[in-house]
Amino acid sequence: MHLPISNEEPQIMHIDLNSCFATVEQQARPMLRGKPVGVTNRISKYCCIIAASYEAKALGVKVGMRLDEALELAPNLIMTETDPPKYHYVYKKLLNILSSYSDNVVMKSIDEGVIDFHGTRENINKRELSEIGYEIKARLINDVGSWMRCNVGIGPNRFLAKVAAGLHKPDGLDIIDHNNLIATYKSMRLTDLHGIAERNEARLNSVGIMTPMDFLNAPSELLRRQVFKSVCGDDWYQRLRGYEVDQHSSGITRMVGRQYVLDIRRPSDDEVRTRLSYLCETTGMKLRYRGLCARGIMVYVKYANGDSWYERKMFKSTFFTNAEVYRRATLLFNKRPRHAFEREIGVSCYMLTPSNMSQISLLEDVNKDIWLTQAVDQVNNQYGEFTITSATSAKSKNIVKQKIPFGSTQYFELLLKSS
Amino acid sequence: MDNTVMINRDVNIIAYYFRGKDKPNCFPKRMDIDGRQITFTETGLLHPTQKGKRMVHVFDMTDGKADYRLEFDAEVLSWKLVAVSDAQNAFAN
Repeated sequence: MHLPISNEEPQIMHIDLNSCFATVEQQARPMLRGKPVGVTNRISKYCCIIAASYEAKALGVKVGMRLDEALELAPNLIMTETDPPKYHYVYKKLLNILSSYSDNVVMKSIDEGVIDFHGTRENINKRELSEIGYEIKARLINDVGSWMRCNVGIGPNRFLAKVAAGLHKPDGLDIIDHNNLIATYKSMRLTDLHGIAERNEARLNSVGIMTPMDFLNAPSELLRRQVFKSVCGDDWYQRLRGYEVDQHSSGITRMVGRQYVLDIRRPSDDEVRTRLSYLCETTGMKLRYRGLCARGIMVYVKYANGDSWYERKMFKSTFFTNAEVYRRATLLFNKRPRHAFEREIGVSCYMLTPSNMSQISLLEDVNKDIWLTQAVDQVNNQYGEFTITSATSAKSKNIVKQKIPFGSTQYFELLLKSS
Repeated sequence: MDNTVMINRDVNIIAYYFRGKDKPNCFPKRMDIDGRQITFTETGLLHPTQKGKRMVHVFDMTDGKADYRLEFDAEVLSWKLVAVSDAQNAFAN
């Protein structure tokens, strides 16, 4: 394959709210503005930072860092816990703004969205995309608040739009097209490219590709056969030249589950089981929210000494009620080795099929289970999640917190109900 | 570290209500608590949230010394002070 650099007019816009959770917290609480802020799911000594403000990042704090490590770098770091309704509000506002320019909008995650202007330029009176970009920034400030900032990147494909959005953080607007593509690559490192982290960098380095320019000039054959050893090599060849290869969406859910790092260093059996029960309950809620039932279940445990264990099982019958998820998970959980204290536990359901909840069974017991679950779900919808909860998980209700979905927003509404 | 103090108490609020299409149409101006008056100067974020089927409007406010989280229950029309951050500044004379 040999392709020139695409000279198509840039029509993809990538909008990214960097440090989204921390920026939203600073927007909500003016006294935090200008200070190093970290956001985590649940504050504890070993919690992990899931978002850091620009002030914290300037002091060396990075996302994924543990709190004790971050405090060494930034002793004045202010840690706050996540507040999903706030982020959902900003997400909805951002979606509304983006959707007003084109119906071809895809939210890649909570804090970033892509507008494809192909075929819809007439709707915006053929205005310049850079002008639209500045307007989006202004509307975000007007609709949400004065502290909100976003990066806008415009490019001929999704990859280059994303790269452009990362060029001048936190409030940049950049366009990459065939005129400045090479100059942009010359100013970057390999790991600045979205999708190239340490491992891919090592793969590229092993065949002598050390810079984005080397990467651009590498033949597709080399990338396919030696570097990526799959069609991914061809995709990268096209992606780097501005051709679209990332316009796909996967709406298939293959697995539903929850995992949790235990809040106690030396948990008793009862304490682990009550948290497992809670995870099973939220997994059951997720299944029903998606209108699915499962046939397979997997339970895993990571131990304090670094060991890990998992067990999985397929059943003949499908299940979706909280009690069934917990019963089947317990079957596997009882088989775990008990040579060390548990550090992390997780439950996943797989082999998912559309739910048969509306199907009346010949077996009276099955019907009773379904009706009970439906009644409990109705009460919880009316009065808030976990208004009725199983006794085994009641103790964990205030301890285990729902995670913020970073990559996907498919459970956002459900998360809000339980937050 | 975050120094938010949970309060969860009903409070009296004097609020301005005004017409607006897309903008917030309520600004809680003054709060009376324990004989003190706190005058808000800025809204940080105003967002609705659901508690079961009930709609609650959350106001993150500041008086320039501390941040306050207020909840307005649209069903029973009551205000609640949920939390105060930098509470040592909030209630200092």
